[in-house]
Amino acid sequence: MKDRVVQLENYIMKNCLWQFQSRTWDRVKQNENILMKTMQLLCGEPVENKTPADRCYWVDAVSMADAFKKRCPWLLDMKKEEIKALMQALKERIDFVTITGSLNKELTDEHY
Amino acid sequence: MPNHEFECSKCIPERKLHAVLKGPGEDLTSALPLGYLSTIPGSISERGCAYCGAKHVIGTPMKDVIHISHGPIGCTYDTWQTKRYISDNDNFQLKYTFATNMKEKNVIFGAEKMLKQNIKEAFKAFPKIKRMTIYQTCASALIGDDINAVAGEVMEEMPDVDIFVCNSPGFKGPSQSGGHHTINIAWMKDKVGQVEPKITSDYVINYVGEYNIQGDQEVMVDYFKRMGIQVLSTFTGNGSYDDLRAMHRAQLNVLECARSAEYICNELRVKYGIPRLDIDGFGFEPLSGSLRKIGLFFGIEDRALKIIEEETARWKPELDWYRERLRGKKICLWPGGSKLWHWAHVIHEEMGVEVVSVYTKFGHQGDMEKGIARCEESALAIDDPNELETIEAMMKLKPDIILTGKRPGEVAKKIRVPYLNIHAYHNGPWKGYEGWVRLARDIYNAIYSPIHQLAYLDISRDEIATDKGFMTQRLASDANLSKEALSSTNMREYTGIYDNIAYLRTKTYPVFERKTAAAV
Repeated sequence: MKDRVVQLENYIMKNCLWQFQSRTWDRVKQNENILMKTMQLLCGEPVENKTPADRCYWVDAVSMADAFKKRCPWLLDMKKEEIKALMQALKERIDFVTITGSLNKELTDEHY
Repeated sequence: MPNHEFECSKCIPERKLHAVLKGPGEDLTSALPLGYLSTIPGSISERGCAYCGAKHVIGTPMKDVIHISHGPIGCTYDTWQTKRYISDNDNFQLKYTFATNMKEKNVIFGAEKMLKQNIKEAFKAFPKIKRMTIYQTCASALIGDDINAVAGEVMEEMPDVDIFVCNSPGFKGPSQSGGHHTINIAWMKDKVGQVEPKITSDYVINYVGEYNIQGDQEVMVDYFKRMGIQVLSTFTGNGSYDDLRAMHRAQLNVLECARSAEYICNELRVKYGIPRLDIDGFGFEPLSGSLRKIGLFFGIEDRALKIIEEETARWKPELDWYRERLRGKKICLWPGGSKLWHWAHVIHEEMGVEVVSVYTKFGHQGDMEKGIARCEESALAIDDPNELETIEAMMKLKPDIILTGKRPGEVAKKIRVPYLNIHAYHNGPWKGYEGWVRLARDIYNAIYSPIHQLAYLDISRDEIATDKGFMTQRLASDANLSKEALSSTNMREYTGIYDNIAYLRTKTYPVFERKTAAAV
């Protein structure tokens, strides 16, 4: 599982920008919403995308879900519960790298 | 990730925290260079000032505005015509710059009266221009001239004009970035929401953090128009003052340079609920992904895919031609703030070059997070290096080319390392599919220029062969190519025209049927 999380994490770090907004509270929302929607897409579950904010999270999720399936074909053989566990582990890892373990001192500045 | 200490900076121990070497298997939680701190006395930084960041980077690309600096003539002159932010308004904002030319007597006796006179003279000299931005400088800030009050008086006397005051003197922040921040927040506070725009499409965006350097904005807007998207405003390249006062009516903020403009995107999200989508306009894969995401947002993904297919088919064979010849070449990616992460991964993947170092002149730790995440292992990441450090880095890393701004670039030239100005541009446009090929071509031309064969010879020391001619670019670049690459009938050199922006300005675009009477 750890190796698979690393593969997905490496893709996000190399190719995505959504995880690097400038304040902690925005990173929390981005990580939560985009990774949740990606998980839902990978599991074939319905995804909320009615509000502009939801659609914005959703487009990043669609792009990422497609990339994951293309680069990590083992995903297609996984059961729903396994995908959910994997994505939960991925979220914890991304939260650590970009929020709780981040050395970026500006994250906690209360103004933009 | 170990911190990197430059030999020349051992006498400035604080510098050690501003550079790291990306090691194998390491992540961002092990080390991150400090950033956006006050310049260390004695380090002789190559940063610019906050006035420059506000006026030269963000303010002056607005095309239908008189940009006047209230201060000494040097501030204005040194931030004029050193960046190619062209416009389709006959480059009015590039051709003309304005200054109140404060002198010593103004510093002693004040300059508000002179400022008011200058403002009226400027409007009189250009009667068709009804918008103005006044930039505070260190001199006018220190003496406390109330520029806002003077602007208010003029607007009362001349009701058809509108004036924006940007109070970002040079000392207001550690670098240009301080100026970016100031003008973002000031524009949001003072101007956004004052104009109600005409909505012409069901899909309306602000294109934020794009300054139209040599036409980059016009390349991207071409794609948006082909998708039927209305670009309500561009912050601020080729941008119009009044369009930017209507930013609050867009459905989506498409953000390119997060370093200089994420502030206004964040504020627009909080106040008006407009979401922010960060994109990459450089590189085939990132650009394709970005266009697709914008298309998905509006439910017009098919239009984005059509553009991606057409452009990739047209330009990929040319990118591949340069990729074969640039493979393995070492580059230092040393821009101001955002290109270090826009390009760190894609220039390696799509042009085959090895990025041996990334740096940022005025970036924050967030830029370093993105850049280090995207660059390869063993790259040296440096925050705000000075000239001695860049020389030491170039001597050690031996890059084949530096991609940087004009100040560090001149240093590179002196030690005979080719450089390409990717700040204000040596050429361009470099955005878009064709632009990325143009960049590859320019890197190729720089690395394989026959001049290097002369430049590296020392006639006082070296044996100069008299029985050999110079190698042409092609002889140099093709010397070690595979047979497949040499004999390819698909790959080819760049075949675009010299001025593709002039062509874009003559294009007509499809009209898409509206679903709604007015966009939400």
